[in-house]
Amino acid sequence: MSAETAEVVVTGIGVVSPIGTGKEEFWRSLREGISNFKEVTLFDTSLIEKSGSSEGPLNRIVAGEITEFDASEFLGKKGLRTMDRSTRLLCVAALLALQDASLQITEEKSDRTGVSVGATYGSLHSISQFDRSAILEGPRFVNPSLFPNTVINSPASHVSIRFNIRGFNTTISTGFCAGLDAIGYAADFIKMRRADVVLAGGVEELCEETLMGFHALGMLAPQNGGTPLFFPFDSRRQGFILSEGAALMVLEERDHAQKRGVTPLSIIAGYSNAISYSLEESLMVSIQAALEMSGMGTEDIDYIASGANSTKETDLIETRVIKRVFGKDAYRVPVSAVKSILGETYSASGAFAVAAVTGALQWGFIPPTLNYNVRDPECDLDYVPHRAREQSIQNALIISTDPYGNASSVVMKRP
Amino acid sequence: MRRVVITGLGVVTSIGTGWQEFWQSLLEGRSGISRVTSIDTSDYPTHLGGEVKGLRADDFLPEEILSRYCRATQLALVAVIKAIEDASLRLVSPVAITYGITTGPVQVIETINDKYVRSETPYENPHLFYQLPPNTTVSAISEMLNIQGPTLILSTACAAGNYAIGWGFDLIRLGRVDLAICCASDAFSRISFTGFNQFRAVAPERCQPFDRNRKGMMVAEGAGAIVLEEMERAIDRRARIYGEVIGYGLSCDASHMTLPSVEGVVSCMRKALKEAGIGPEDVDYISAHGTGTPANDRTESEAIKRVFGERYRSIPVSSIKSMIGHTMGAASLLEAITCALVVKNDIIPPTINFETPDPECDIDCVPNKPRKKRVNVALNNSYAFGGNNASVVIKKWALP
Repeated sequence: MSAETAEVVVTGIGVVSPIGTGKEEFWRSLREGISNFKEVTLFDTSLIEKSGSSEGPLNRIVAGEITEFDASEFLGKKGLRTMDRSTRLLCVAALLALQDASLQITEEKSDRTGVSVGATYGSLHSISQFDRSAILEGPRFVNPSLFPNTVINSPASHVSIRFNIRGFNTTISTGFCAGLDAIGYAADFIKMRRADVVLAGGVEELCEETLMGFHALGMLAPQNGGTPLFFPFDSRRQGFILSEGAALMVLEERDHAQKRGVTPLSIIAGYSNAISYSLEESLMVSIQAALEMSGMGTEDIDYIASGANSTKETDLIETRVIKRVFGKDAYRVPVSAVKSILGETYSASGAFAVAAVTGALQWGFIPPTLNYNVRDPECDLDYVPHRAREQSIQNALIISTDPYGNASSVVMKRP
Repeated sequence: MRRVVITGLGVVTSIGTGWQEFWQSLLEGRSGISRVTSIDTSDYPTHLGGEVKGLRADDFLPEEILSRYCRATQLALVAVIKAIEDASLRLVSPVAITYGITTGPVQVIETINDKYVRSETPYENPHLFYQLPPNTTVSAISEMLNIQGPTLILSTACAAGNYAIGWGFDLIRLGRVDLAICCASDAFSRISFTGFNQFRAVAPERCQPFDRNRKGMMVAEGAGAIVLEEMERAIDRRARIYGEVIGYGLSCDASHMTLPSVEGVVSCMRKALKEAGIGPEDVDYISAHGTGTPANDRTESEAIKRVFGERYRSIPVSSIKSMIGHTMGAASLLEAITCALVVKNDIIPPTINFETPDPECDIDCVPNKPRKKRVNVALNNSYAFGGNNASVVIKKWALP
């Protein structure tokens, strides 16, 4: 198998996010460090606000909601009626990615094209609504046309249906790491020649169920009267702001892109993931394996896009492992938290990181870590606070960790 | 090219825990369908399902561990324990863990919804939410076995088990690991029971795949686990080898969320055969997706005719869903286990409840009685919502 010689490149990006639709707008927001967190309007958050340790006045919940999102502007009205929010977000991202890659999925290409999507709670709202309708109205009064939305692979499958992609269709639900895992899986499929092109990325929608889930686990930043305590790597950090969106990359083999006359935006040079009894161990193993696959050493890495999300543990663990793997180099390499600008998009976050790093490689900048002010003695790396750094980079490492013990890494290169 | 063999099997179903009991039941044509007790079915048009009754998970795991996990995870843990035991394996990391699901911790979602509709704030129960992501299961497996390695959770609905086997197979062939634990589970789900009933897709009395009077599927639960091992390693340690995985194929219908497509299924089987380096003439047995719904069985029969041409009637095609119902994410994994046992033992389990032939399904469905036949190659088909298809090819193993 020529799997280890093939080179997988990114030739198109489609993003729908609170900080921009389309790669240019998304990259600009990252470069300018402009976040977009607002009070939630999609659903009533009062149940959540009333629960837990609500000392003092009730706070409206702030999140990274994509406001005024109208999928029909992109997709037309046909077929949208039974599509849930995740599906709409993902289908729009797919359209943008295909346009960006100047790719038409013709009948001949269809069998050689695949879809690989990270999503874990993407269908949770649809599942819950369906179930609650059965409880409240009785099982015989549930709308059967909503049943297909209750499988987690529904958004990815809709992408295949809408864009006629028949090669394969995979959904991966490894939580915070799912976006990176979906991209690694896709790259493997291209290397093994199972597909020429894969649309790979992730999606999560903002919904009451996901919000309440992270709230119950104490992972959301306290709302603090509308300015949540959200500061990745900062010693005051207490949790994340939940966000939403979809990011899909067009991945293909370098020769395939060349034959189409398309210039690669970035290269997926290595990737790996691991689970173990210790999250630190998992992350270490995954970084080392990803570096090894890319043929690089820590000295080659110019930038680390961390999955830091302002929770006590994640930011600390990622910092610690960077120090263990990079040794003295750890203090040389800029490390930043894209999530400080975008918020926590959970299973989409790794896909957004790949989109962000592609922008960093293309435009020559390092996205900043916003709101970083108070130093945590244990988190003492160069976090690129407040402002993006204009700097040309060749190679970047993306990392992602999940509290359940799995971690993923991707190494990217400038083409 | 590294070769991948199956060296351990673990099963939790309505007709048996552990492969020996399961296999015995399959050959006897025993049905595991019974009256549903985990939910109140009085408002539903049908009342039967394939629940796993009398499983004493605490025979396998201490109560303090069990109480941390929902039913889907518990079922998976028991299947994995049985598979590791069966492989008589000393685990040395890295070991891949791949896990297939449809909804995963569905019981948790349902409990949260029960509280929600009563306007109780379910949020004050972090334990419940802790179990919500399906990572809970792989995390529990990694912790229980104290292993480290690559992992994926494949949530490709009713084909998830085959996807999980496929990725484990890839990792061993690519040389990233020598061992993979591929498992899949789903618990009996009110959501599935509601949805399939609203689709008029649930059989009121029995599941009769390929029968002219078939009335639908049976919603069920279960778990399966397979230990995949690099062949040389398995030979060196004199492992019992059930069979060899020689390839798999994936395809997507890209046409409809729920209606199966002949073209999609044909493409999936052809890809699997191509990757396995064999032709249609080499296949001796097909484990059908065979849900027992009118549309599925008709589509699948038609697809088999297209792929196998004139030979189609000479290939036995059976559906164990006639006995255990549709175990959702676990289904194709349990069927892969069945294929491994078929190539090992040269006996084919029947499709039970078969009475009236259907001219549209005139394949040989091995009606009602098991059949002795030499089976060198078995093809395991699975199709899912979203048009996600996956077929795995399992071959009789012989010393190279």
